[in-house]
Amino acid sequence: MGKTGGSEGLVDTIKNLWSKLSVYEEVKPLIALIGLFIASALLSPYFLTSYNQRILLLQTAPLAMLALGESMIILMGSIDLSPGSTMALAGTVAAIVHISYGQPLSVSILAGMATGAAVGFINGLLVTKAKIPSFVATLAALVAGRGMVLILTGGQPIVGLTEFRVFTEAIIGLPNMVWIFIVFTGINLLLLRRTSLGLKIYSIGGNEEAARYSGINADLVKLTIFTLAGFYYSIAGLMMNARLEVAYPWTGWGYELDAIASSVLGGIQLTGGIGSPIGPAMGAYILTLITNILILMGVSPYVQWVVKGAVLAVAATALTRGLKYVK
Amino acid sequence: MASNEPLLKAEGIVKKFPGVVALKGVDFDLYQGEIHALVGQNGAGKSTFVKILNGIYIADQGKILINGKEVKIRRPIDAKRNGITLVHQEVTLIPYLSIVENIFLAKIPFTKGPITALNKKEMESFARKYLELLNLRINPWIKVKELSVGEQQLVQIARALAENANIICLDEPTSALTPAEVDNLFRILRDLKKSGKTIIFITHHIDEVFRIADRVTVLRDGEKIATLEVSKTDPYEIVKLMLGREPSRFYITREKVFREEEKPILVVKNLSTVPEKIRGISLTNISFDLYKGEILGVIGLLGAGKTELGKALIGLEKVVSGEIFIDGKKVSIKSPIDALKYGLYYLPENRRVEGLVLTLTVRENIILSALKHTTKLMGLRDINAEKKTALEWIKKLNIVTPSTETKAMSLSGGNQQKVVIAKALVAKPRVLIFDEPTMGIDVGAKVEIRKIISDLAKQGLSIILMSSDVDEVLALADRILILYKGSQVALMPNKDLTRDIIMDLMSGGSTNEIVFSSREGEHMEIST
Repeated sequence: MGKTGGSEGLVDTIKNLWSKLSVYEEVKPLIALIGLFIASALLSPYFLTSYNQRILLLQTAPLAMLALGESMIILMGSIDLSPGSTMALAGTVAAIVHISYGQPLSVSILAGMATGAAVGFINGLLVTKAKIPSFVATLAALVAGRGMVLILTGGQPIVGLTEFRVFTEAIIGLPNMVWIFIVFTGINLLLLRRTSLGLKIYSIGGNEEAARYSGINADLVKLTIFTLAGFYYSIAGLMMNARLEVAYPWTGWGYELDAIASSVLGGIQLTGGIGSPIGPAMGAYILTLITNILILMGVSPYVQWVVKGAVLAVAATALTRGLKYVK
Repeated sequence: MASNEPLLKAEGIVKKFPGVVALKGVDFDLYQGEIHALVGQNGAGKSTFVKILNGIYIADQGKILINGKEVKIRRPIDAKRNGITLVHQEVTLIPYLSIVENIFLAKIPFTKGPITALNKKEMESFARKYLELLNLRINPWIKVKELSVGEQQLVQIARALAENANIICLDEPTSALTPAEVDNLFRILRDLKKSGKTIIFITHHIDEVFRIADRVTVLRDGEKIATLEVSKTDPYEIVKLMLGREPSRFYITREKVFREEEKPILVVKNLSTVPEKIRGISLTNISFDLYKGEILGVIGLLGAGKTELGKALIGLEKVVSGEIFIDGKKVSIKSPIDALKYGLYYLPENRRVEGLVLTLTVRENIILSALKHTTKLMGLRDINAEKKTALEWIKKLNIVTPSTETKAMSLSGGNQQKVVIAKALVAKPRVLIFDEPTMGIDVGAKVEIRKIISDLAKQGLSIILMSSDVDEVLALADRILILYKGSQVALMPNKDLTRDIIMDLMSGGSTNEIVFSSREGEHMEIST
């Protein structure tokens, strides 16, 4: 008797705890992350090695930057298909400024960042001024951006980017680029949860009409956020230059989908207005972790795609539980 | 009643939603050929109940019997197979399909096989049969989005008939209709009743119960309070049952003020607009002024241009000519942001669609129009200041909410409206433009909102009150501007005016000539 009573008590406690925790939008992705981490540690002895963990974080960093930028746009109820091309273009411009024009690293980094921000700004103008739906506007940027990369590089990789190593060097045990993505995750948390701009983003995604009637300059917010996201993507491009020490013209091919997938895995709703600011960084880690463990287990890269797709479908199902229907 | 065996019987219907029991064991019976009104305040459970009958929600407990036999209704199609259908409060037609196609959709669940070849002629004759029943004489191949709300409502009823429904549930069908359309709808309902159909009719308007219903069931807080023969009761008793207490007056009265000397805050001169969308309303030569502490009632039917006037004042309509002066200075208002700079704030008609961000909390909604007041350097939000502001307004306007952190979507209509008002007031406007502030909210909340509007005027705010509720405008406004099809029919002091005079004017009326009466004129002439 007493024993069953005790286990029922435990069930109740867990239920209570869950109902308290599930108020926080971060909880579901965090549980998924911890669960996958533990499962991976059990599946492969190599997973927990510091070498592998370092690789995992280095691979997460650029994707996390894309996801952090993308998620701000999704929270406004828009979508951005340009992250992959933008990061490639920013990385390419930085590499050319550095190698072909012999400029110091700092100048080339600034040039790369300016490029990313400029692409984002143009996306913003297309959406707010030309009134092109973001899906189409950024689809144009996805195509044209990649074309520009190929023109600039002639389709050939730009090699010799050894100075970009500053990103992969470590302080306090972690590579700089990992610190960068952690800092930007913090910046997103602060921006989205603690600034008026953040509240404007959530209100535009939640109900743009109401936001406009409330006197919010929705066009200005969109322009700002598209530009800021472009800047985030450029940092991802610089990170890729650093990781590979090569500016490869097909860098970031298909990454827009990974950025969107990371946002969804992190609990951002594609309809806008709902989701945790730090969820996308967790989503990026989860997505990278899945690839990592599959490689460690020797699974064919073709199968990896299928698994990633399946995980996305399962995660999305978990996130939309309770909704009547979605589009 | 005609027969002793009820056509439909519901026993002990219980429906729980997270955190709230919407229906607490409701019994209900319905007889063949009756029009049965369902009334109650917002949140009483009227809509939930008919949605259970129609398989949109599934009851947690209780059973439904049709002709004495228990039926399981778990999906809308189950309801339709049992001859029950629901005409939703919101229009649920597919806007980009034609009338014919929308009506034909009703037949599709009953066709055999997964794919049926469509024949245009057959479809049209099928649809016509029902459109003729409703006396709806329009080209049936017009896209539904081109129709007025009233016409769309009729198409929905046509679709219900096409489903061969025996029991037709109408969820607040009159809330968006003009008086003429309501008359037409009631005529149709009586015809349907004569042909043996049974109707459940949800409404907020007690007078409609007495115009159309045979019996009335009152719900309050998820419980059935009573079912009465309409001929043996009166409006007072029904409102008392709805509220659970003696009703206070619906319309508060206020001292009307007619100012002479002061300078107006807002002057609008010959304002004309062109609509942004097809079949939109264009305004022609609207002129009025507005004084400090004044309530200007703007009245007109659906399509008279009230909303368009409100939106034109905050820069959301395409103004082709005319001028707006604030404090005597000519201004150009191109967006709500400009409007706010001059102290003009528009509270939209549809609070869920245009007024609130439902995914945000009550606190965040309240502060949304005046973020500067609660932010520090670099736009950093001061959450404590936000909470303080929110609590202050929750208290001032008596907003019923569990906390400042509750999502706006879980509030009742009346409380959502108060959040919209709080949001406007935080921005410290001088002119508030209310568009149908009491539409679709329950009786108790209506009184409260009207009291708030009256108090705001007393505190010196100028108010433009747009409403299709004549009594509301008569009770509150100092002056009344009447619109008809985008033109100004009259502007007159609210003195010696009656409901009939206004109704006549707002429906284009039998009057041939209306002499525009200025504020100073103090009188108006109507010659017939």
